[in-house]
Amino acid sequence: MNQLLRMLLLVVILGFALMYGASALNSSEGFSGANTLTIYNWGDYIDPDLISEFEKESGIKVIYQTFDSNEAMMTKIEQGGTTFDISVPSEYAISKMKEENLLLPIDKSKLPNLKYINPRFMNLSFDPNNEYSIPYFWGTVGIVYNSEMLGGRTFKSWNDLWDPSLRNQILLVDGAREVIGFGLNSLHYSLNDTNEDHLQEAKAKLNKLTPNVKAIVGDEIKMLLANEEAAVGVVWSGDASEIMDANDKLDYVVPEEGSNLWFDNMVIPKTAKNVEGAHKFINFMLDPKHAAQNAEYVGYATPNAKALEYLPEDISGDKRFYPAPELTSKLEVYKNLGKKMLAHYNELFLEFKMHRK
Amino acid sequence: MSSKFKVSHLYLWLVFIILYAPILYLAYYSFNSGETMHGFEGFTWHWYREVFADTRLLIILMNTIVIALFSSVISTILGVIGAIAIHRLRKLQNQNALLSLNNVLIVSPDVIIGASFLILFTMLGIKLGFASVLISHIAFSVPIVVIMVLPKLKEMSPTLLDAARDLGATEWDVLGKVVLPFIKSGIFAGFFMALTYSLDDFAVTFFVTGNGFTTLSVEIYSRARQGVSLSINALSTLIFLFTLALVVGYYMISRRGQNNSAGRKGRAVDWKVPNE
Repeated sequence: MNQLLRMLLLVVILGFALMYGASALNSSEGFSGANTLTIYNWGDYIDPDLISEFEKESGIKVIYQTFDSNEAMMTKIEQGGTTFDISVPSEYAISKMKEENLLLPIDKSKLPNLKYINPRFMNLSFDPNNEYSIPYFWGTVGIVYNSEMLGGRTFKSWNDLWDPSLRNQILLVDGAREVIGFGLNSLHYSLNDTNEDHLQEAKAKLNKLTPNVKAIVGDEIKMLLANEEAAVGVVWSGDASEIMDANDKLDYVVPEEGSNLWFDNMVIPKTAKNVEGAHKFINFMLDPKHAAQNAEYVGYATPNAKALEYLPEDISGDKRFYPAPELTSKLEVYKNLGKKMLAHYNELFLEFKMHRK
Repeated sequence: MSSKFKVSHLYLWLVFIILYAPILYLAYYSFNSGETMHGFEGFTWHWYREVFADTRLLIILMNTIVIALFSSVISTILGVIGAIAIHRLRKLQNQNALLSLNNVLIVSPDVIIGASFLILFTMLGIKLGFASVLISHIAFSVPIVVIMVLPKLKEMSPTLLDAARDLGATEWDVLGKVVLPFIKSGIFAGFFMALTYSLDDFAVTFFVTGNGFTTLSVEIYSRARQGVSLSINALSTLIFLFTLALVVGYYMISRRGQNNSAGRKGRAVDWKVPNE
């Protein structure tokens, strides 16, 4: 009995000591609890130095929390019980959150730095006039390939994927919009096409690709490509830069027919408590120097036109991640096609997955 | 005879190697001066320094341990009370019914428990954070403690209690001097099980974290999207050493406890080893 009590006491004391330690560590940064800003972002998606700089500059204490998927983040915000002041969803999630009234409108008069954003990334279909969202990072969908494994072969067009020599060499991401999208693109159709004939044509073309497809996989595609399990992969540019970091034999290309353009934008969820601070933070991140520092840390492409000047030439000049204007004009953002059309896309993708070689 | 002995040893070693190899592999690369786990480039303390420089990660780590300690203490107390209550039920049928209800909670998927808690908390208007995580960890640990303690109670002979009462012990004496010492090992086992469950739980915690309070499993998971950096290896190694220290500590305590009780013959504590 005594031993049990001693143990109990020990654990409780240890618990309180740690609790005290954590709160001491928290307050050692010199902020009171009153003025805080809670940010809900993707894991490792901001340079931590920028957060401390923002805290110093504004006197606001930042609480930083992370999520791993748009769906998880939306569920948390929808359910309430949280006070996130800023979040960074992708474009399709933004239009969904707008529909469900989960966002607060952004007061652009408080964002003097908004002028630095390249107009090309503003006023897009998922959020006309940027009423609710401000661009954070952007990227593309393209082809990652290992030319060493393919005897020096390179890629330029989606149609290169159909080459018979690539039998059993291609990995695809498991996304209906991505795969049907490049099927449409390879036929020079828009990847938001809803014309039934075009869709059937794209599916028939994709069916012919099956002998070349080794597997349709999720996030493990990065590891598989880096470990040279396959020579070619269709991936997002963010994943591509990671794969290439892990294995420098790989290269990335955005096919010339065009491709998907994706965005992660900053929004203010309706649960926000510190709307003023949220605007301050967005403006802080729009500052070209800060945007450049962040882009260098995270490795994705910044939509901030002025920030490019502060980036090292080997980053801002990298045509793979900052494509030339002729190509960017061919890139398309996914439109919200509506539930019915989306279900149709999913069905076509499923049929493609089941197609026999 | 001796060759048979060796084969069984070999098998034991094999099992241990399989169990520990991934952890050692991970720990080995935490000292890698390269960026990835593909090939060791040289020895460095860099990743450990990075862990200790990352205040946010340290706060999360401390939160995780605080939650684990508090939730397992509270759930151990609740679980022991629950197990004793179930044990005291007269009808076997009722006992089994309650035990099945308890088991349902153990076998139901974490995701379901997590989602239910999220809905419950938001319905009640409880803010997500420390309290919500603590409450849900207690909730999923209690059934485990019950399961660990109950067999010990069943093992206990009813005559032991009768004897204590005959000798004039009050109900409290019986509980404090007979029952609890007897089921002590079950209580410790329950406590440590609850501790590990709480430390590594992802699914439930994932739903109920919020407002800046998060635990290590959730944090590592969301970082994994960008590829896990080797500082996570360093952190995992530290946590592994911490748990190892806990287990060794527990082992020492239980060893000492046994020696002590063996030295004090004739007390109820010695019921387990009456012939010594």
